[in-house]
Amino acid sequence: MLTVCHLYPDLLNLYGDRGNIIAFTRRARWRNIPVRVLGVRLGEPVDFREVDFLFLGGGSDREQSLIAADLQRRAAALRAAIEAGLVVLAICGGYQLLGRFYRTLDGTEIPGLGILDFYTQAGRKRLIGNIAIEVELEGKKIRACGFENHSGQTYLGAVKPLGRVLRGYGNNGRDGWEGARYKNVFCSYLHGPLLPKNPALCDHLLRLSLRRRGLDGYLAPLDDSFEKRANEVMLHRLGVKG
Amino acid sequence: MRLRFWAAILAGKGAYHLSRITGGRGSSLPGLVALRLFPEMLGAFARQARCGAVMVTGTNGKTTTNNMLARVLEAEGARVVANREGANLVTGVTTAFIRASGLGGRVGYDWAVLEVDEAAFPRVAEVVRPRIVVVTNFFRDQLDRYGELDKTVSFIRSTVAKLPATKLVLNADDPLVAMLADTGREALFFGLGAPTRGEEAQGTTREARFCPYCGQEFTYDYYHYSQLGAYRCSGCGFARPRAQVEALSVQTLNGVTRSVVRVRDEVLTLTLPTPGFYNVYNALAVFGAGLWLGIAPGKVAASLHRYVPATGRLQEFVYKGRPVYLNLVKNPAGFNESLNLLTASREPKDVFIALNDNDADGRDISWIWDVDFERLENCKEILRFVCAGRRAAEMALRLKYAGIPVQKIETCSHFAAGVRRALEGYGSIVYLLATYTALWPVEKILRRLATEVNGADSVSPVPRSS
Repeated sequence: MLTVCHLYPDLLNLYGDRGNIIAFTRRARWRNIPVRVLGVRLGEPVDFREVDFLFLGGGSDREQSLIAADLQRRAAALRAAIEAGLVVLAICGGYQLLGRFYRTLDGTEIPGLGILDFYTQAGRKRLIGNIAIEVELEGKKIRACGFENHSGQTYLGAVKPLGRVLRGYGNNGRDGWEGARYKNVFCSYLHGPLLPKNPALCDHLLRLSLRRRGLDGYLAPLDDSFEKRANEVMLHRLGVKG
Repeated sequence: MRLRFWAAILAGKGAYHLSRITGGRGSSLPGLVALRLFPEMLGAFARQARCGAVMVTGTNGKTTTNNMLARVLEAEGARVVANREGANLVTGVTTAFIRASGLGGRVGYDWAVLEVDEAAFPRVAEVVRPRIVVVTNFFRDQLDRYGELDKTVSFIRSTVAKLPATKLVLNADDPLVAMLADTGREALFFGLGAPTRGEEAQGTTREARFCPYCGQEFTYDYYHYSQLGAYRCSGCGFARPRAQVEALSVQTLNGVTRSVVRVRDEVLTLTLPTPGFYNVYNALAVFGAGLWLGIAPGKVAASLHRYVPATGRLQEFVYKGRPVYLNLVKNPAGFNESLNLLTASREPKDVFIALNDNDADGRDISWIWDVDFERLENCKEILRFVCAGRRAAEMALRLKYAGIPVQKIETCSHFAAGVRRALEGYGSIVYLLATYTALWPVEKILRRLATEVNGADSVSPVPRSS
């Protein structure tokens, strides 16, 4: 039994974020791997050691401010779990929260959880549009696509990017990188949502979760023709070869 | 000044005819052209309204509410200018006036009844200075265009605060709408009483689970869909206001929606010729506007009884003797309501979904993951899903992840092939759901196919009589 945790499912679920949970659980169940989903709301307890896959989505400013204090209380436990290999997918606002701080336009620094070494700077221009990136997973390169919509521009310190931007803006529209990666944590601005259209990435997260449980990470192959088609249509539109 | 006004009208009228000749609808282009020549055009038109203007805004239900209200006023003998086709930006609103005006630019009407997009609301309201503003609801819609929902709400709020003479008609069931009353404007509320629909509303996407004033989680006595219902905040006491217009029970049967409506102290029966439950909300908003305008509720009910839906607002067609419904889908709340139609009856049906991602649809289609397609997982009555449009592949993918067997899901690269596939299924009802820019092409194809098969006479839209 794998346990998926959606932290603040009612607050951090800005735009189709739950598609990532749907993809993860379906792809496990199609292989007869039992999964349960824990929705953890404000103030509700959760033991991260029991969680196999943690999902952090995006939220509006109002919603993010509601969770800030609650999240700070969980920071130490979350950090320990991440250091111990917890598999995490953090998108957009959830991504920014894991970093050192968010600097607003007037220079105020809102502290993040400081678990990953990067910071985010508010930008005047919103970075919006379809995006394609190249991600390396276990030695294989895949082309992922999605939609980005963020005004925060993220700059990485001692963490690796998730991938290289092929089309679109990525972390800050300048350095050509998208997302961040640290241990088993995957951060991205692709909220498209990320996992359904990019099944290799979804399976990679599933495999990491199984291995961390001490199970063998073998996943029976699935018929991914719908997934491939959706991915290829977008890559083609963006002028990227699949 | 006068000369530029005429020049702009002539250019606008020219653009309209050109657009029609080339197969367009001419619902926005004339306004665009005219405003380029004479930016103050909309204000000049609006001042001609003898009685004034009513504006309808909100996320869902604008077009229906607006057209219902225009009908009610016309039945009262008023001459009305309205943008009936849902073109609701500054250009679309201006076009409505150009089409209604003579060459001299005189419009000669009593009322302007205008549906206005939330983002365009501040600009249009400042020039038009409406006597009445109706707000239907606020749902998340096209975040790539508008940014966050909170911003939309605050724009409308600050605009309303600048219009001291404007009266409001507000949805009591939506906390984000109801809070507009604290702008100090005179307000009337409409809402639904405790639910009578058998099933529990299942929407998981709620825009306002938390009190917008103090952040406490709302307690709901009941809710209808999304965040609409009877909410209370235990923190600051903000709660659903008492509604002057309230539907007490709603029933949908054989394509007709009936309910009992209380308007102040008067109780009457409302019959709408549509199976769309949510249209009761639109009708209630019209009763509310009617109260401000001094139209007797009985007269409002009589006009609504004969209401013919606008293009793609659950518009009914007949193809080979079977009913075909065309409905616009554009955000999770509205799409979930469309899914209610699919699961409401036991007849076998075919479903066509056209998903585009042009600017007017919203370029980001992530919202389809917030629609509760999972409800259709075990729905045996749906025989087939045909997906079309620029994002057909992603629509198909969404259905697959909802647990629908892939054998039931098809994609068609062209609308015509897709519509034909759905119409020639074995179901006894066909539902065609389309995003904004897919709606008119699909309607055109539908009319053409229906004419080929039925001959012109039995081609609908068929207004249902009851």
